[in-house]
Amino acid sequence: MEKLKNLLQVYWEKEILQLAIIFLAPLLLYLFSSSGVAFILFLTSFLVLYLSKRLNTKVKLVIAIVDLMVIMPLVGFANTYYLDVITQIGIYVVLAIGLNIVVGFTGLLNLGYVGFYAVGAYTYAIFATAQANNFITSSILQFPVSGNWFWMFLVIGMIAAGFVGFLLGLPVLRLRGDYLAIVTLGFAEIIRIVLNNLDKPINFTNGPKGLSPIKPPAFFGIPLNKTIHYYFIVLILLVITVIVVNRLNNSRIGRAWTAIREDELAARTMGIPIVPMKLLAFSIGAAFAGMMGVLFAAKQSFIDPSSFGFMESIGILAMVIMGGMGNIAGAIIGAFAVVVLQLHILKELSNFLRGLTVAGIVSISPQLDPAKYERLVFGLILVLMCIFRPQGFLPAKRTMAYIKKQVNKLKKIEKEEDVSVE
Amino acid sequence: MALLEVKGLTKTFGGLVAVNNIDFEMEDKQIVSVIGPNGAGKTTFFNVISGYYPDHEGTITFDGNNLKDLTPERVASYRMARTFQNIKLFPNMLTVENILVGMHLHLNSNIFDIVCNRRRKIKEEAEAYERALELLKYVGLEGKDNELAKNLPYGEQRLLEIARALAIKPKLLLLDEPAAGLNPKETEAMKNFIIKIRDELGHSILLIEHDMKLVMGLSDKITVINYGVKIAEGTPLEVKHNPEVIKAYLGEDTATEEVA
Amino acid sequence: MEQMTGMIPQLLIDGLTLGFVYAIVALGYTMVYGILEFINFAHSEIFMVGAFAGTEVLLFMQSAGYLGSLPAPVALLIAIIIAMIFSGTVGVVVERVAYKPVRTAPKLVAFISAIGVSFFLQDAVRLVEGLWKNAFYLSTPTLFTASIHITGGLRIPVKVLYIMVIAIVIMFSLNLFINRHKLGKAMRAVAQDRNTASLMAIDVNAIISLTFLIGAALGGAAGTLFAVQYSLIHPYVGFIIGMKAFTAAVFGGIGSIPGAMLGGILLGLLEVFGAGFLGILTNGVFGAEYKDVFAFAILIIILIFKPSGLLGKTVGEKV
Repeated sequence: MEKLKNLLQVYWEKEILQLAIIFLAPLLLYLFSSSGVAFILFLTSFLVLYLSKRLNTKVKLVIAIVDLMVIMPLVGFANTYYLDVITQIGIYVVLAIGLNIVVGFTGLLNLGYVGFYAVGAYTYAIFATAQANNFITSSILQFPVSGNWFWMFLVIGMIAAGFVGFLLGLPVLRLRGDYLAIVTLGFAEIIRIVLNNLDKPINFTNGPKGLSPIKPPAFFGIPLNKTIHYYFIVLILLVITVIVVNRLNNSRIGRAWTAIREDELAARTMGIPIVPMKLLAFSIGAAFAGMMGVLFAAKQSFIDPSSFGFMESIGILAMVIMGGMGNIAGAIIGAFAVVVLQLHILKELSNFLRGLTVAGIVSISPQLDPAKYERLVFGLILVLMCIFRPQGFLPAKRTMAYIKKQVNKLKKIEKEEDVSVE
Repeated sequence: MALLEVKGLTKTFGGLVAVNNIDFEMEDKQIVSVIGPNGAGKTTFFNVISGYYPDHEGTITFDGNNLKDLTPERVASYRMARTFQNIKLFPNMLTVENILVGMHLHLNSNIFDIVCNRRRKIKEEAEAYERALELLKYVGLEGKDNELAKNLPYGEQRLLEIARALAIKPKLLLLDEPAAGLNPKETEAMKNFIIKIRDELGHSILLIEHDMKLVMGLSDKITVINYGVKIAEGTPLEVKHNPEVIKAYLGEDTATEEVA
Repeated sequence: MEQMTGMIPQLLIDGLTLGFVYAIVALGYTMVYGILEFINFAHSEIFMVGAFAGTEVLLFMQSAGYLGSLPAPVALLIAIIIAMIFSGTVGVVVERVAYKPVRTAPKLVAFISAIGVSFFLQDAVRLVEGLWKNAFYLSTPTLFTASIHITGGLRIPVKVLYIMVIAIVIMFSLNLFINRHKLGKAMRAVAQDRNTASLMAIDVNAIISLTFLIGAALGGAAGTLFAVQYSLIHPYVGFIIGMKAFTAAVFGGIGSIPGAMLGGILLGLLEVFGAGFLGILTNGVFGAEYKDVFAFAILIIILIFKPSGLLGKTVGEKV
């Protein structure tokens, strides 16, 4: 036993096991495209890849690209279920990264993040269904708009949600942390209630009945309504988000955010205008939620106010907290973990128990269905994380790697220019 | 014109008058100290000047700008920097990042430069980084750039805080008890360092200090505050022999003895 | 217009009843905030636990046949006392398990922990009730059916009178305790300055636990009153009431005990009148469905314009 342990340790240090996971997991998923275990292993392989010390950044990037651009679509041909799951994870990853700007970087607790998501979703849904005909006469424009507009609406949704975030933030960002949290919570509830009731006097939102069918995106008139299409759209949006947020974080703005989180008064003494900086974080976070809202509406083809409850905000918050506040990779891992927990572990457990009951092995009350106890699980996760690991599983590690890269880049540019001058 | 001119400054907390009708002036390139017994109102005086208590009475003119009702961030933007008695660093940021935050006012790249990673931003960031490293070296923290601020020993945290303040390129540097918690040797080094900052970098310095030896050794002018009121002002020698000051520090009976 | 004046007495009764419930729940928020500067987000679930405990006691008495033989007010009192003990215990356990370990951590961490507790309790109650009763919606037995006829169509149910009387008694005794009793004074000392209080030989941890105990017990009492008044409860009932009660606490000035009472009653009245009149004033375009928006909007407006509330004192930022 001891020998085996030592052997494992040696392998672990040499990263043989890690490398095996990194390379074998995608293969396994390809071979067993309907196996939940293979899928979870595949997701885990990203974490292992991220943590690996053996492989350098370029190799890691290539592996990740192959996994996401080749393996996953191939798996999707055989079984669209996991492609759909990973698309959903992608949406949550972007949301978690967006919320991370507010909670992780700047230290502002936003409990109403889903409100901005709703703003984005309804912005698209109202115009991409016949709904807008209720308040815009057909002589101006006929609704629904075509799917080509989807791309435009990604930007409009961002701007709309960002603007709502700005309007909300303007008065409330001066409040202390916990008050701010409650106000954002109240705001999201207001949004939900308004969406539920704004079917009269003029029918804007169609109330609790929701909106459908929402037009899928289209590319020069070709509708993109397959899972694989959404997968790629989400992937592109995710990559853009990661790049943009990473750049922001490693800039004067990102440093100002972190400084505000660390010590507000000291930050002010350094000349950082805190209210505008907080507003910026708040609005940018909201804008990402708005963008994903548009995508969510298009992907679901049906939305109603019940998709935008408080539980959803807490789910996204749990992703940020679990992964590690202030860290983009942490947000990604957090989203993986939460979705896997929601969709797999709890659901599979439910199915398993139901199976046992049906088979008559044990009789388990349907009241005990684990899938119904999301709140219990999330509550427990939040409390345990707060007590034992408040920095999350992948805490932000501060390095100057980014800025050093900038220095090298500048040197390179300057050298090239010198050559061209000669 | 004086660099900093304070007239009739009064700040009350509820019924307590912390600073009472103080007039104060200092010239460019001077080192001026504010001394006084514990609770005399020195730190309140500092806090008012750096914009923490907008609801004060009296006028503050700094470098030709009226500072009344301003916020700390605006005061900083006129290039007044400060340190804190109980060090206020950004504990979970690297030392070099702390300094980069101090440079915030001098970095101009906007959000589009950043998101698009435009050349002027790259250049600005690279230069700022180089300068931050230089500043670290200047205060004697070379090679500590990759450490979290909270992991530095106490004395080095003080130095880092000064380096961060210097990053603002201040016209006036306020130091709140820079020698608090330092041993005599370190205090001596701090004294020389403060003089060096003035002589080499040309910053004006206003400091609060308890350590008489330090104050007497480096100040061009000393202002003495007690119970929120200015009781004396002058060169170190004048203040040293001022009976009011001796009384404030040592009590009525020993008024004949000397302070230092 | 006439329609509106006719509604006033009824709305007044409804508003006061609701307001008293808010006020008692608000006391729990305000007491904990006063001592720890911490929003006990899970207090709404303590309230819910109390509602279930009280209802279960009444259901037990009903099935055991005591409900018919005991006078209704006595049954109510028994239910309230047991609910208070139960909720108080849960409150103290929550404090010890989930809040004490994070007391020195950043405020955000403690707050998130409280959110976690809140969610945990919701589903924990659902689980227990689900396994025990095979349903997690409970209807509370009817205790009082009589009502006092006043004038015209106006009737005051006896139930409402009992609820108001009990609420007033609870609030008076709390006030007496805080201002007169040695422990109440110790609580105020800890609220002022925890360190100095500990130097005065006050056991700060015990006082904090006591605060949670009293706050949670009040929440339990309010839960039972709520269940008796509205007679249908479920594990998620606390959230909205909690938000409203918190609004009430902020409205009155958080940290202030009379403030919480005043805030609760005012909010109850505002909400009921707002919901009642909104439909008439806007010709039915906006109706009672916006009553929650009403409360949240009040919260946001108060926090922006007068964060210290009606009776609170302004707390300056420490430099």
